[in-house]
Amino acid sequence: MRNTATDIKSAILRLGSMSLAIVLLSVLALASIIGTVLIQNQEQADYLTQFGPLWYAVFKALGLFDMYHNWWFLSLLGFLMLSLSVCLWRHVPRMFKDMRNRKVIIADKSLQRFHHLHHWRLPGVSIEAIRAHIDAQLTGWKLQTAEKSGRTYIRADKGRYHKWGYILVHSAILVILTGGLMSVLLGLRGNMSVPEGASEKTIHFLKGSDMVSLDMPFEIRCNDFFIDFYASGQPKEFRSNLTIIDDGKEVLTADIIVNEPLFYKDVYIYQASFGDGGSDIRMKLFHMDGSQRTTTLKSNVYETYTDQKTGISLEFTNFSPFNIENMAAPGQPKQFQNLGPAVEFIVRGPGLKPVKIKSFMNPLIVNGENNGSFMLISLTGNASDYQPFYLGMDLTNPKEWQLFHAFNKRVTSNPESNDPQASLKAFRHALSEVYGNQKPEQIQILGGHIMQGMRALSNLPWPFIPVLEDYDQIYYTGLQLSSDPGMDVVWIGSTILMLGLCIMFYMPHRKVWLVLDPGDKDIRVSFGGMTNRNRLGFEREFHGLLTGLEQAFESATEKRSPA
Amino acid sequence: MTAVSAQLMSLETMNQGKIAFVRFYAYLGLIAGLAGLAYFGPGGYGGETDLLLFLSLDGISWGGIGAVAGLAVGAAISMLKPEWSDSKSASNLVPWLDGALLMILLAAVMALFEPNQALISYENQANLISGRIVMTMNMLFLFSAVSYIAYLFAPAAFIGQLATWSAWAGVYAGGSALLLRWYESYLISEEIGHAPVSNLYEVFILLFCITSIIYLGMERRYQAKALGAFVMTLVSAGVFFGIWLDSVGQGDIKPLVPALQSYWMKIHVPMNFIGYGSFAVACGAGTAYLFRHWLEGRGGYTRLLELFPTLDQLDQLAYKAVAIGFPAFTLATILGAAWAAEAWGGYWSWDPKETWALIVWLVYGAYLHARISHGWHGKTLAWWAVAAFLVTLFCFIGVNMYLSGLHSYGQLA
Ligand code: HEM
Repeated sequence: MRNTATDIKSAILRLGSMSLAIVLLSVLALASIIGTVLIQNQEQADYLTQFGPLWYAVFKALGLFDMYHNWWFLSLLGFLMLSLSVCLWRHVPRMFKDMRNRKVIIADKSLQRFHHLHHWRLPGVSIEAIRAHIDAQLTGWKLQTAEKSGRTYIRADKGRYHKWGYILVHSAILVILTGGLMSVLLGLRGNMSVPEGASEKTIHFLKGSDMVSLDMPFEIRCNDFFIDFYASGQPKEFRSNLTIIDDGKEVLTADIIVNEPLFYKDVYIYQASFGDGGSDIRMKLFHMDGSQRTTTLKSNVYETYTDQKTGISLEFTNFSPFNIENMAAPGQPKQFQNLGPAVEFIVRGPGLKPVKIKSFMNPLIVNGENNGSFMLISLTGNASDYQPFYLGMDLTNPKEWQLFHAFNKRVTSNPESNDPQASLKAFRHALSEVYGNQKPEQIQILGGHIMQGMRALSNLPWPFIPVLEDYDQIYYTGLQLSSDPGMDVVWIGSTILMLGLCIMFYMPHRKVWLVLDPGDKDIRVSFGGMTNRNRLGFEREFHGLLTGLEQAFESATEKRSPA
Repeated sequence: MTAVSAQLMSLETMNQGKIAFVRFYAYLGLIAGLAGLAYFGPGGYGGETDLLLFLSLDGISWGGIGAVAGLAVGAAISMLKPEWSDSKSASNLVPWLDGALLMILLAAVMALFEPNQALISYENQANLISGRIVMTMNMLFLFSAVSYIAYLFAPAAFIGQLATWSAWAGVYAGGSALLLRWYESYLISEEIGHAPVSNLYEVFILLFCITSIIYLGMERRYQAKALGAFVMTLVSAGVFFGIWLDSVGQGDIKPLVPALQSYWMKIHVPMNFIGYGSFAVACGAGTAYLFRHWLEGRGGYTRLLELFPTLDQLDQLAYKAVAIGFPAFTLATILGAAWAAEAWGGYWSWDPKETWALIVWLVYGAYLHARISHGWHGKTLAWWAVAAFLVTLFCFIGVNMYLSGLHSYGQLA
């Protein structure tokens, strides 16, 4: 019976051993690596394709896809807490005792073991004089004196409360882990997207591998969302103007930006993301059946427009009012230009390969020269594969569309259209048909537009060219809501941790002893010192005291000896 | 006594007793004045325009009044309580503050050579002065590393001096280049202006300077010159990386993304680099330990070994460096958590950078425990210091290169 009891006790004590601490810290470090290498909380299907069925099953069973919340990682943390508690329980009482009663009288044998030790023999000086010198040298040290069998023992301490460092650091970690546990158990963190003008009440968050939603006790309306850009096109500020509606009443309206959240009813509301909230889009379709016909189409981002006659559909995926690009050739100083509003959509149709298009509202103007309307086309559907496609004509100018047709009609009706002379003639006729007597300026450029148009349009597989005509932008603001009752506990723990670390590292416990042993002819003085941290620093400090005492003693004996 | 050493003597007394004490209070007053301006001044805390605020007439008057008030308080205390003016902390800290002031003055002088405002543009930053000063820093650090290594083989005092002085000159060049860069960011455009701790290139310069300062401080206190060959070689390796970063266009001043527009950036990032810098010095000490150990094992080399600190001293120096770095890194992590709480809504998200910071912290925590518990010898711990620095390096650069996450604005091109 007794044996099992002592076994249990020693097992518990071992939980508080330093070797275990080292192993625990190392294992935690290794385990933490896994979650940084394996991207966490992805779609399960993605993991399955990445690892194959066998490893997927193994990794899933080990909880590696949600590494920091799986049972064994949490158990490790729990084990650390247990070990810390045992460690504190084992050490703290002794430390308190040590800090309370300090032995002043030291055995000769212990003194001999000190790293730093020095002896003097001082003839013709009184104990009191020596004491006075010692007191003068050891200002800032806590002095205690005792006498025993004729000897005077002086003990001086600095950093006597060093052990508090240990106590504070280790309890602080317990406090921080407790705070973390409170955050996990009682905290709340989720996202909501609110389109401009709309309001929203529900947040969504990941629980294990499932998305769950939760209603908040209040509603948030997004009145407005703004983005401000730097001249170079990088976003400078995201700002949402929000109104909190509680119980049907508008209680609070405020702006939030990144780094400056809103606080309401124990919930912090953060600016987390943004996106298109279903902007109104108006497209102009330029029909390429020779009729010069244009029609307009109205839709919204995230919606799909299907042309009944041809079965061709446009799925609108995004809209952006500013598109700032570096127009300089590679290696040249950068030259930023805003290309204006653009809409992105995917075109599908019977017998057609789906392609992704980014259509700009304005023609491309480079160095003041109008290069005509253009769009970006990606045959793969990836934005990184966008290639510019120049339509030639400036389609925002209806005259150019007319001119194109007037020219086209003449060229196609004339079989010798390849002859440059004939083309030139056809172009002149087309010009006077469209413009009458008021000839446009820059005819050269206009000619270029129409020629490029002839080449480009014949390559397009669709019956019409979709060009962005007008828009009414609506953003959604992506908010993150969180409430975390563990947070303050973590801050308290962190403060204690820092305090403890400062004590532990910068206030080492230094002890020196001076033993005065009066003999017949002289007084024997022994001076010894030790520390528990920062031996190099202590060496200097001890040496400083030593030279100080040496000088003091020298002058004291000198003063006496001539007499 | 020669004139030079007399001058050095008077420099020593400048850093002791009343002069140091009163000056220390003047600096405290100056800092308090500027902090007061930032928080209570007419404009209040101006977000990213703080540098302009400090350089304005307001800044000069608040800082000036603070400094004079601090001076008066210091003088009063040293009169009423003369024994306080022997305070070690004042005489220990004052040289650092002097150094900081000198750096600011240097940067101010360099700023006079900036090109005309009309010639400064975001698109082409090649004409800014700070780039040239950074190049000077690079050269000084490389030269210093070479000198420290040369010193090991030709231990003439003047080579040692050369090594030390060029390292110091490098620190001043780097520090003032960063300050100048801060100012230049405002020259480019007021809206772009921000503290130069926002991208990998800038923090590399900071890291070189901090590492060198920590090492040089140790060299002065503990006569550990042989260590310089190891620490400054590490710094030089970094210098090459920095030159490469600049060559691929990462050295440009870029506007701050919204996530970084916070005063936390100015506290969190430098604090982190005090940690990284100390760990680099610990790694240098660990390498020196292993080197000495190897030399001793082979026998001979007495001349070389004489230059080295003893094994025990090297072991202690590594510990000393960790003792600076560990609390600084802990504080930096806590500050990062506080920033995350303010910006992302949670103090801890297990983002790769955060997690690696935790790993670094755990590894050094284990190192500290291993030191105290018995049975661990210098050599194991020296290896540990080296390996732990590799972990630190991964946290610093590797995470940006290989792992994605919320800290991805530090991404390499
Ligand atoms: C995350 C967890 C921990 C951290 C960050 C931590 C941190 C520290 C630090 C910084 C020191 C001081 C080292 C020095 O002065 O050089 C220390 C000492 C110590 N730690 Fe820990 N510790 C942790 C966990 C533990 C655990 C779990 C135990 C016990 C099982 C433990 C037992 C000790 C002991 C006994 C000392 C020596 C105290 C002394 O004599 O001054 N620690 N710890």
